Amino acid sequence: MHDFVMPVGPQSPALKEPMLLKLKLEGEEVRSVDMRLGYTHKGVEGLLEGKNVDQAMYVASRICGICSISHERAFIRTVEDMMKKEVNERVKLIRTILFELERISSHLLWAGFMMHEIGFDTLFQYLWREREGVLDLFESICGNRVHKNICKIGSLRYDIAPVQEREVLDCLDSMQEKLKDYEDEIKKNKVIKERLKGVGKISKKTAIEYGLIGPNARASGIDNDVRRIDPYDSYADINFKTIVIKKGDAMERTLLRMREVHESMGIIRQCVEMLPSEKIPKFSLTNIKEGEAIGRVEAPRGELFYFLKVEDGLIRRAKVRTPTFAFIKILEKILKGVKIGDVPVIVASLDPCFSCMERVLVAKEDREEWMTEAEFRRKYSC
Amino acid sequence: MKKKHNYVKKSPWVIDYDVGGCNGCNLEVLATLTPRYDVERFGVVYKSSPKNADVLIVQGCLNKKAVKRLKKIYSQMAEKKVVMAVGSCAITGGPFAEAYNFAGPVDKHIPVSVYVPGCPPRPEAIIDGLLKALRMVKEE
Repeated sequence: MHDFVMPVGPQSPALKEPMLLKLKLEGEEVRSVDMRLGYTHKGVEGLLEGKNVDQAMYVASRICGICSISHERAFIRTVEDMMKKEVNERVKLIRTILFELERISSHLLWAGFMMHEIGFDTLFQYLWREREGVLDLFESICGNRVHKNICKIGSLRYDIAPVQEREVLDCLDSMQEKLKDYEDEIKKNKVIKERLKGVGKISKKTAIEYGLIGPNARASGIDNDVRRIDPYDSYADINFKTIVIKKGDAMERTLLRMREVHESMGIIRQCVEMLPSEKIPKFSLTNIKEGEAIGRVEAPRGELFYFLKVEDGLIRRAKVRTPTFAFIKILEKILKGVKIGDVPVIVASLDPCFSCMERVLVAKEDREEWMTEAEFRRKYSC
Repeated sequence: MKKKHNYVKKSPWVIDYDVGGCNGCNLEVLATLTPRYDVERFGVVYKSSPKNADVLIVQGCLNKKAVKRLKKIYSQMAEKKVVMAVGSCAITGGPFAEAYNFAGPVDKHIPVSVYVPGCPPRPEAIIDGLLKALRMVKEE
C-alpha cells in the first residue's frame, strides 16, 4: 500500500473555479487533503484603500459576480451607518426586492450546477432556464445582468416603475410551479438520491467548530440568519421563516436552498405589495470626512462582513470577510475518508465562491501579525 | 443561408479557464450553454481537457499565480488554436488594473485572436466572438 497524491484543479472538469486540491489517496479513499488557493486573488482590499466612497462602491460590487448586490449592500450599510443616514421606506423595499431576487438567482445557479456535478444535465438546463427570467428582471430594473450597481448612498440609481412591479410578480408566478416540479424531481429521483443522501455529512458540533454560516449552517441545525439577528432594510417588517434542517448532508443542503427560493419569493411578493407611492430621493456625491463602521448582510452564501475606516474623505482601511472564506477550511475535515468520486459533489454542495474568498490572511500559531500591503509584498515577495 | 453559415463546418471544442475573475464572465460563458442561447447549435462543446480543444476562452483579471497555468494550458492545446479574451479584465485589467497581484493583460503572455469586451459581456456577444473564432479555425 502506498500513498498516491492526486491533484484536482486548478483547471479541472469538476470545479468551475480555480482551486487546487491535493488529495492523498489510498486506493479509492481520500486520506488527507491539502488545499492550495490564490488562483483568483486580486487584492481588492488594497484597491478599496485610497479611493473615496463613491468610487470604492463600484470596486466592491465587482468582488463577486454572483452576489454583486450583497457586496454593494454591505458596503452601503457600512457607509450609511458611518453617516447615520436614514433611508426612506421605498428605497428600503426596493433594495429588499433586489436582494432577494439575487438570492433566487444564486440558489438556482447553484442548484443547477450541483445537478451538473452529479451528471444530471437535464435538470441543470431547466434550472438555468428559469434563472434567465430573474436575469431579465435585473436587466429591466438595473440595466445589467450581472453587475447591478444600483445602490447609492441613501438612495438608488433607478426607481421601479409600476410596469416593472408587474413584471416581477409575473416572473415569480411563472417560476413557482416549475420550481415545485424540479424540487419533487430532486426528492424522488433515484439517481439523485443515491448520489446525495448521506454524502458529506456535517454534524452540528463540527459546523460550530469550523464556523459554518449561511445555508450550510442552517442545514446542520444552526439557526443563523443575519436577516433575523441584525435586521436591515425591510426585513424587520416582513414575515418570513428561517428554514433550519438537522441532517446536514448534501441532499438536505440542496433541498434547503430550494425551499429558501420559495421563501424569497414570499418576501418579494410582500415587498411589492407594501411599496409606497412616495418617490426615491435624489442622490449626490457623498461627503464624509472621518468615520469608522462595520456592517453585515446575509448574502446568498451566508454572513458577509465589511469594515471601513475613512480618513480625510478617503478610505484608509477596508476589510471584507466573505462567507466562503469563513468555512472553506471545513473541506479538510469532511473530505477525509470519502471516495474520490464524491469529492466534487461534496465541494459543490458547500456552494463555495472562490472569487469572493481569496483574501490574504497571515496566521501564525504563537503571535498575530499585522502588516500593510507594502510590507506584505516585501516579505512574501509577490 | 447555406452560404452564410458555411464556416460552420468544423465543430469547435472549447475550453474555458478562469484566471482570477469575479465569476461574472464565467457565468455568462456558462449561460451560453443553456436553452435560451444554446451554443451547441453551432457544434460548440465545452471540454475540460486542453488537448481536445480548439478554442481557449480566458476570463478574469490575470493574476500572478495563474500565469504559469495559463501558459501550460495554452501549450498543451493542439495546433490551429484560437484564444478568446472575454471581459474587460482579461483585455485590459478592467477595475483591477491597479491591483498588486495583476500580471498584465492576457495578450501580454499568450497571443489572443478574439476580444469580447464588456463587464461582463452578454452571452450574445460571447457567441458572436465564438463564431469569429470559428472562422479563424477554418481559415488557418
